Amino acid sequence: MNDETIVNEDAEDDEIILAEMPDDELVEQMHDDLYDGMKEEIEEGTNILLARDWSAEKVLNVALVEGMRIVGIDFRDGILFVPEVLLAANAMKGGMAILRPLLAESGVKPIGKMVIGTVKGDIHDIGKNLVGMMLEGAGFEVFDIGINNSVEDFFAALKEHEPDILGMSALLTTTMPYMKVVIDELIAQGMRDDYIVLVGGAPLNEEFGKAVGADAYCRDAAQAAEVAPRMIKEKREAAGNG
Amino acid sequence: MSSRPRRRHGGGREAKRAARRKLPTSTAAYIDRKIPYYELLGDEALELIEHNAETVLEEIGIEFKDFPRALKLFHDAGADIKGERVRFPRGLCRSIIQASAPAEFTQHARNPKRNVVIGGKRTVLVPAYGPPFIRSLDEGRRYATIEDFRNFVKLTYMSPGLHHSGGTVCEPVDVPVNKRHFDMVYSHIKYSDKPFMGSVTAPERAQDTVDMAKIVFGDDFVEQNTVIVSLINANSPMTFDATMLGAATVYAEHNQATMISPFLIAGAMSPVTVAGTVTQILAEALAGMAYVQLVKPGVPVIFGTFAAAVSMQTGAPTFGTPEPSLVMYAAAALARRLGVPFRSGGGLCGSKLPDAQAAYESANTLVTSALAGVNFMLHTAGWLEGGLVMGYEKFIMDADQASMLAVFLAGVDLSENGQAMDALREVGPGSHFLGAKHTLANFETAFYRSPLADSNSFEQWQEEGSLDAAQRANKLWKSTLAAYEAPPLDPAIDEALLAFMDRRKAEFADREY
Repeated sequence: MNDETIVNEDAEDDEIILAEMPDDELVEQMHDDLYDGMKEEIEEGTNILLARDWSAEKVLNVALVEGMRIVGIDFRDGILFVPEVLLAANAMKGGMAILRPLLAESGVKPIGKMVIGTVKGDIHDIGKNLVGMMLEGAGFEVFDIGINNSVEDFFAALKEHEPDILGMSALLTTTMPYMKVVIDELIAQGMRDDYIVLVGGAPLNEEFGKAVGADAYCRDAAQAAEVAPRMIKEKREAAGNG
Repeated sequence: MSSRPRRRHGGGREAKRAARRKLPTSTAAYIDRKIPYYELLGDEALELIEHNAETVLEEIGIEFKDFPRALKLFHDAGADIKGERVRFPRGLCRSIIQASAPAEFTQHARNPKRNVVIGGKRTVLVPAYGPPFIRSLDEGRRYATIEDFRNFVKLTYMSPGLHHSGGTVCEPVDVPVNKRHFDMVYSHIKYSDKPFMGSVTAPERAQDTVDMAKIVFGDDFVEQNTVIVSLINANSPMTFDATMLGAATVYAEHNQATMISPFLIAGAMSPVTVAGTVTQILAEALAGMAYVQLVKPGVPVIFGTFAAAVSMQTGAPTFGTPEPSLVMYAAAALARRLGVPFRSGGGLCGSKLPDAQAAYESANTLVTSALAGVNFMLHTAGWLEGGLVMGYEKFIMDADQASMLAVFLAGVDLSENGQAMDALREVGPGSHFLGAKHTLANFETAFYRSPLADSNSFEQWQEEGSLDAAQRANKLWKSTLAAYEAPPLDPAIDEALLAFMDRRKAEFADREY
């Protein structure tokens, strides 16, 4: 531990004023504030950068998404704990609430939209909630349709929200096969290619994800937050080229 | 970077990473127990064993071999001496012990923050003692050296769950037998600031230990306080020998503590039954502790018990089996009734490797030791192969268990925060507690976090190399040794110790006995 990382006891003297910081330092500070789950500071930083004529897209990518990428790495490595990641995601949400209308105005494609829910028969939703929060933290717009969803429930949500990603979750070995029922119905209706389908839950594995026809199995919330933006990017690039 | 302004609150990533990766080296100096003992036997059963032990002392007696001083002291105290056999009137040993032996005492460390209290509701966890071999994944099984000895002193110093530096953490067979005690005692003083144990392999080596302690603590302090605790084994069945009695006498005369430990492999060195073995343990311990009190009334003495069971197929000792656990529960209760501290237990196992057998046998004896109420838990970390081997990886596994025992023995927090009614109200049905205020205030210390166990998803575990516990422990002992920094030692004391050792080593020739 070096001196720099020790919080000075006389904190008032060292209080920093975000608005006085040059851009590069402010961005670094926002990465730290995201890491520390400080929502108000993130909102303030977001507004300052916008006032300096940064585009919403640049604020999003340089300040927020990069900050959450660091959070994701340290969560995976066991440095950050679940409650801390939830706080960071909440801080990110604060910044996103400011940016989202601006992004829409400027015609920038949002990072992504996701509909997520547990499948029919399964009411175990803590893991699904964590995934939702992590994806919100990664800048996604997440529509959580809760527990115990039938094919009809999923289809109604897809129609209403027009997401990029459909996420399905199950804790029970007896409910996880229902994921295939939903995906088969997407195929039957010719809608399968309209969505990236991600599946998750303790009894699943890579092989199961493939077998039911999902695009990916995500072993935990941190990984879902890595996989989701990557797959959207790949899909958009492929579409752009084609 | 250094020109960057201070943070307002948290330190962001750098601060968190530094804090979370910092190895904790200091926690409480010892465990203060907050949970009840597991009482295996009722008063009637314990009285029966006490009665039988007095019968052993009265009828059969105990041999004190080649040690006339013990015979003289016991004779003067009223015992019947025939040859080297001492027979005690009923209740004599018990009354001698209860008249002067303290129920608990402080063993001072050179760092006063690491002083330990031995006895009462306290538990002190201590590494394994005596193995001539070491084992590691890198080198397999080989004879231990003084370098290994230093390594285990350092690892013990770095282990927050271990309170005591121990004694012969492994036998440094590369140093001459009659001089290795100097290097061992010096290593404990130099590389750790936790309390340590003394040499018992000859009276003059016990004296050297006392003299070295005096260089560290001062003459008067040593004569008036306990700074050394030493292991005195009975030569069971029902025998004490001159080597052990000689060392015990030196330590007692200088006010230093000894643990009188019947060492029994039941079926070979005691009867095959639990009750018979416990009876013999009590008889031997009573006789040994009474001797120490006769040498110097009031000197701290510990009731020791080391009990295993023999394999009737091979004659080999076995560990982590149910019968020795029953023995330990009974012996601990007998020590409490007598009113002296109790030594037993540890992470005992018969396995050759840090494998599943080692893990479950050791867990059995560690949990038994904790529930029984052991005050001084020798052999807590490192023990393999019935004590023949000190395992590097096994040490890390046991040190992890040691830290868990401290949490378990602390019992249940019933404070307002512990009751967590705020959390229950805040969250209510159908949500989750991971983001609750109460969780945010408590999560970091709420659960024991093992540095060794892997609870990650299958996929993450696989990506990180599919390492088993021993492979992870291998990484951990190496990184722990790499991170080791010696506790400060006054250079004048260090020089005086080295000068003392040089002078004493030059006074007699090397000898391998």
